[in-house]
Amino acid sequence: MEFSADLLVNAIVAGLLLGGFYAAVTVGISIAFGILDIVNIAHPAFIILGSYVAYIINSTLGVDPLIISIVMLPVFYALGSVIYQVYYVSFEKRGQEALRGLAFFFGLLFITEVMLILVFGVDYRYVEAAYIGPSLRIGFVAFPLRMLVPCIVALLMFLALELFLSRTFTGRAVNAVAQDQLALRLMAADPTRIKSIAFGISIATCAIAGALLIIIQPVEPSVGREYIGRVFAICVLGGLGSLPGTLIAAMLLGVIESLTATFYGPSWAPAVAFGILLITLAVRPAGLLGR
Amino acid sequence: MYGSTVRMPLFTLAMVGVGLIVYLLGKLIAIDYLYFAGYTVLQFVVLAVAWNILGGYCGYVNFGSAAFFAMGAYSSVALHKFAAAIDKFFDEGVIASVLQAIFPLPIPVLIVFGGIISGLVGLGTGYLTLRLRGAFFAIATLALAVVLQTLVINWDFVGGSRGAYIIRPQSIPVIGSYIEYLFLIMLALTIVALCVARAIERSQLGFGFATIRDDEIAAEASGVPTLRLKLIATTVSGALMGMAGAPFPYYIGYLEPASAFGLAYAVNAIAMPMIGGTTNWIGPLVGAILLGMLQQVASVTISSAVNLLIVGILLVVFVIIAPVGLVGLVQEFLRAAAPDRLTPRALGVLLIASYGIVAGMFGVVFGLSAAMAAAPAVGAFELVVSVLLIAAAYGLLKLQSWAPVLATVSFVLLIPLGIIQVWAVPSLVNMIMYGSAVAIAVAAVALMQSAGVKSLYSLPRGEQRATS
Repeated sequence: MEFSADLLVNAIVAGLLLGGFYAAVTVGISIAFGILDIVNIAHPAFIILGSYVAYIINSTLGVDPLIISIVMLPVFYALGSVIYQVYYVSFEKRGQEALRGLAFFFGLLFITEVMLILVFGVDYRYVEAAYIGPSLRIGFVAFPLRMLVPCIVALLMFLALELFLSRTFTGRAVNAVAQDQLALRLMAADPTRIKSIAFGISIATCAIAGALLIIIQPVEPSVGREYIGRVFAICVLGGLGSLPGTLIAAMLLGVIESLTATFYGPSWAPAVAFGILLITLAVRPAGLLGR
Repeated sequence: MYGSTVRMPLFTLAMVGVGLIVYLLGKLIAIDYLYFAGYTVLQFVVLAVAWNILGGYCGYVNFGSAAFFAMGAYSSVALHKFAAAIDKFFDEGVIASVLQAIFPLPIPVLIVFGGIISGLVGLGTGYLTLRLRGAFFAIATLALAVVLQTLVINWDFVGGSRGAYIIRPQSIPVIGSYIEYLFLIMLALTIVALCVARAIERSQLGFGFATIRDDEIAAEASGVPTLRLKLIATTVSGALMGMAGAPFPYYIGYLEPASAFGLAYAVNAIAMPMIGGTTNWIGPLVGAILLGMLQQVASVTISSAVNLLIVGILLVVFVIIAPVGLVGLVQEFLRAAAPDRLTPRALGVLLIASYGIVAGMFGVVFGLSAAMAAAPAVGAFELVVSVLLIAAAYGLLKLQSWAPVLATVSFVLLIPLGIIQVWAVPSLVNMIMYGSAVAIAVAAVALMQSAGVKSLYSLPRGEQRATS
């Protein structure tokens, strides 16, 4: 493809919008893997679950997917808390999280995907909303609302989580649980309860991220697999558990993927995330803003 | 463990002997479908044993088994395509005629190639990620599958996303039918994999691996070269997976990226050792044979999506309630119930429990298929009895006081079920299958009510260990 300035600018803008969405997809993993040290590889499967919930309610009742996702937050939070309880009793308490905990989440990923295939088949599903078609134009730069709205929602969610984690007692306790559980106990907070809350929040973000995903693109059950490499690449590149780092890394990956797709073809885009992941692990495992 | 004193050459001989018996039995029955099904099961045995060398012995989870498998398969495709296009690469001459004479390569050579390629991929991935915490390696392997798939999709020489056709010969000299030949090759590969796994287990390498699994920091501190050992494990494990994949294009006839990189290989490679038991070579073998056969039956009677669901659920259930796997359960049972020597009482319970697990798992599949189609009521009944049977068998192995009662109940329920099944479809297969099930059920009930078994389960578990 021929190189031109407006193509480049458009690709970068598209990449930044995509990056905002990636931040929403990754923030849950940043909390679970980065802060709590729970390697929840089933995270993308829960995002797809969120997409399908948005799809079902949108196609039957015609409610806006973003409203659905906000209504669904408590449900996903509860799901997350239940999963954490099972994980804690079965693996964390016995000190077996390394091998069997990973296999447990892999099994969850697999069960969710196959269940969705059995119920909905492998057809692509999509939602209807006013902002999916049109796009905003400033000069020669296009802002498709389909990308812009998810990006804004994602940034708002990100801001809310950052404020929660840095300003509230529970949020600070979540940060502390990874560093010093004994100190946390001395502050009269139960580490298990704090972790359960944090994991619940991590899964709750899937409700919103899932709705955003199905606004951006049609979804089928195995789409989640493409996001596994992406979310962990962003999480590691950003520095585990650092939310600002996650945001920067997400934007970076979005732009690089968008440029790759524009100038080399979209079929190469999935390889970008892995390349970045491997380079980061080899060169700077602590990530951009690592502790 | 029982029988752990057998020396390695003798073990190899025994394995070859077992392999021969399996092959001759196949010859005797001589149904092509059995070779097809058997090939798939054996392929899973190799994958499971290979996964276990890294996952079970070292404690490092590899989610990318499908990628290593597919690398082996695609190296075969690449060589096959190369053979077809020799005249394009070289003009008429010495090199071309030499190459023409060598190609097409026989499958054992392709297996070696596939093993080398996948081994190198394993080494590379391991080198970049194994210096970090274990989770990073697991994540990297997960992403590796996506990337290698992207590469293959974009590589037109091996067919890209359209896939590649491999036309296999109808027959092969000496052996006869080609599928029989492929089955024989996979059987040989299985023996190789099992011998490698057992040799590693009993060598210094294996002890090194075990120290990594138990406490890597302590191992490092006592001078175990952990990084080098882990790299050896990834390379060997990756190579074996590639070897399992190399004959695959010839088996399937048409290879496309989505099938070669399918999640089914990744999940089976993990689930089979986890369900069988990860500490030694028997675990993955047992797990792979059981789950492999179960899936063959399930994909014929129900659908391939449902059989993957069964594997996923079994994996989650086993890692939660039986983290030691089936072999581990049996070992724990023997340690507690028959510490000195194998008593008839313990052997009887063990046989009944093993039967309960196997019959229960197959019963779930048959019950599901009947419940979803022909006979909903009988199917649902069979499903319930099967789940009870599995629970009872688990309880028996765990020496739970409720187990004999539950076992008695589920075996009693099995008797009318068997009679209904034979009455509904009085075919020869059904008569043999359910007839023997009823006979075993009667024997099991008798055993459960015997005084010896009752005394085994009447003591609290702590006391059990103390008295024995």
